[in-house]
Amino acid sequence: MKALPACIALSTLCAAVPGSAWSTDWELSADMRLVDSDGQRSLFDGGLGTLRYDSEHDGVQVGRLRAALTQPLGDVWALKLDASYFGQDDAHPVSVTEAFLEYRPYPLDGWRTRVRIGAFYPPVSLEDTAAGWSSPYTLSNSALNSWIGEEIRTIGIEGKLEWLGTRLGHDFDFGATAGVFGWNDPAGVVVATGGFSLNDFQTPLFGYVGGRGSQVFPENELFHEIDGHAGYYVGAEARYLDRVTLLALHYDNRADPSAETSNGIYAWDTHFNSAGLRVDTAGGWTAIIQWMAGTTSVEPDGEYAAWPFYARFALISRQWGRNTLSARYDIFGVDSSAEYNFGDEDGHAWTVAYIFNQSAHWRFALEWLHVTSEVASRAVLLNEPTFARENQTQLSVRYTIGSDRPY
Amino acid sequence: MSRTGAWIARTLLVFLGATRALAGTLSVQASLADHAPFAGAVVTVRGEAGHAPAAPISTILDQINLTFVPDIIVVPVGSTVEFPNSDSVSHQIYSFSPAKRFQLPLYHGKPYPPVHFDQAGVVTLGCNIHDRMVGYIVVTDAAYFGRTDAGGNWSVTNVPRGTYHVSLWHPLLRDSVASLEREVSITGDESATSTVQLAQPLRPAPLQATARSKDAY
Repeated sequence: MKALPACIALSTLCAAVPGSAWSTDWELSADMRLVDSDGQRSLFDGGLGTLRYDSEHDGVQVGRLRAALTQPLGDVWALKLDASYFGQDDAHPVSVTEAFLEYRPYPLDGWRTRVRIGAFYPPVSLEDTAAGWSSPYTLSNSALNSWIGEEIRTIGIEGKLEWLGTRLGHDFDFGATAGVFGWNDPAGVVVATGGFSLNDFQTPLFGYVGGRGSQVFPENELFHEIDGHAGYYVGAEARYLDRVTLLALHYDNRADPSAETSNGIYAWDTHFNSAGLRVDTAGGWTAIIQWMAGTTSVEPDGEYAAWPFYARFALISRQWGRNTLSARYDIFGVDSSAEYNFGDEDGHAWTVAYIFNQSAHWRFALEWLHVTSEVASRAVLLNEPTFARENQTQLSVRYTIGSDRPY
Repeated sequence: MSRTGAWIARTLLVFLGATRALAGTLSVQASLADHAPFAGAVVTVRGEAGHAPAAPISTILDQINLTFVPDIIVVPVGSTVEFPNSDSVSHQIYSFSPAKRFQLPLYHGKPYPPVHFDQAGVVTLGCNIHDRMVGYIVVTDAAYFGRTDAGGNWSVTNVPRGTYHVSLWHPLLRDSVASLEREVSITGDESATSTVQLAQPLRPAPLQATARSKDAY
């Protein structure tokens, strides 16, 4: 019944669309991988390895099959849908990663407003600027943004107000964002149990992390409202011309750590701060540094435990012509207060990626990823060594068609 | 040479001389703070009161590959500009500049009536869908206008005798427009040159990357 007001709003908007003037924008892509990996059993196969593909799952793999749609509803409203299949064995038939209505009125006197209603990513990532919340620099996201893709989604409403100083002859633009959301109470279970990993998986709204019935995440449905408390975030953005971007976010799902569903899905009280700086130069160089620190906690049956966590990365990239070469260093950790240090993690990673955008349709990418990690839960849950050095090399071939990519 | 032929030749010379005495060439030489030529600067030349502004024109400012083409145009007050949209995607062109506020949704293949610019000033154009797009229409009440060439030069011939105010503008300018104004007098047939040098460097030019280059292509 909760969906009813949204349906009424949507049909009202559809009725308001004047004629068929607005054309639908769509995009379909298929990204196939050739993978070589010596990684431990991955998150997606019931393990606690940090890579997307483990040594049992390399060779030819599905990277991502994606369908995206933007349907304008009149001049200033649009419906945006993004669905992807990441090769999971038990994928939900509707693997939607984002679905929202966007309100984009024309800017007035230098001020611009944006409103999003539905399910979407909060403004955290400075690297996932390409279509479908993907990175134009690497195949695998940083540990920080991999976690966002796994566990975090705004299911609610977000408003953004920007002052477009550069359009008024100044050197700076400023923006402020605020969001209110629900249905994300379990967020925190993955980082507290298995720590961070580096991948380009995004948990679909009706999907799971690590497969249904996973040994490490038996109850891994992330998009649930459990305690009836709305979460919120507030963010700020400053830009110097189009060269420097500063992005900051405070996020709190305000979950009641003692709440749980009848079938044992806990509400994880998760809050974090994130800040990042991005610099782009005329020579094609991009540098990104991003920092995040937060805590997640649960209190089942009065037993409180907390997992402070952090993730940081620095990325440097050079684009020339159709080539992009990037290198990234990640460092991340979880500090557990639970028994047996359950969930403790220390890790760091190196990523080097070369991307060749051959045409509007074909993209070729080669990425090497090395992760060193110490995860206490590997011994507790799987009776495996806590320390791992993992390597993954991926060759990706992606083909895209769409309304914006004519032959 | 017959007497008649000589008379015609003499008359012609006198006439040409008189014309030259009444009008000269006005040149502008613009340089950046580091003395390099200032190419692409918008030059406007206003006469004293009573000099008529240039006649209105009709022109086109296209949208190609998510950019405004050309990125800057200069038009006299009263001109009309058409925005045809040669891209396959829709655009939503807007301006909140005081000289002309407008909003114009552009679909591929759907023509819209031209926009009329009836007030002098700089009109900054944006697209509500593609945030990186930026373009400028300089609407001027000046008698003469243009843009400096690669050498930072611009000139106009046949300028009647009188005093003129030369102004310079560019979207990346940090100097105030007032500090770059020069007064030039055309007294006879010799050319008058106004030299303008910026005191501050320009802002860095926008990065060429389009939304697409950050994505797949």
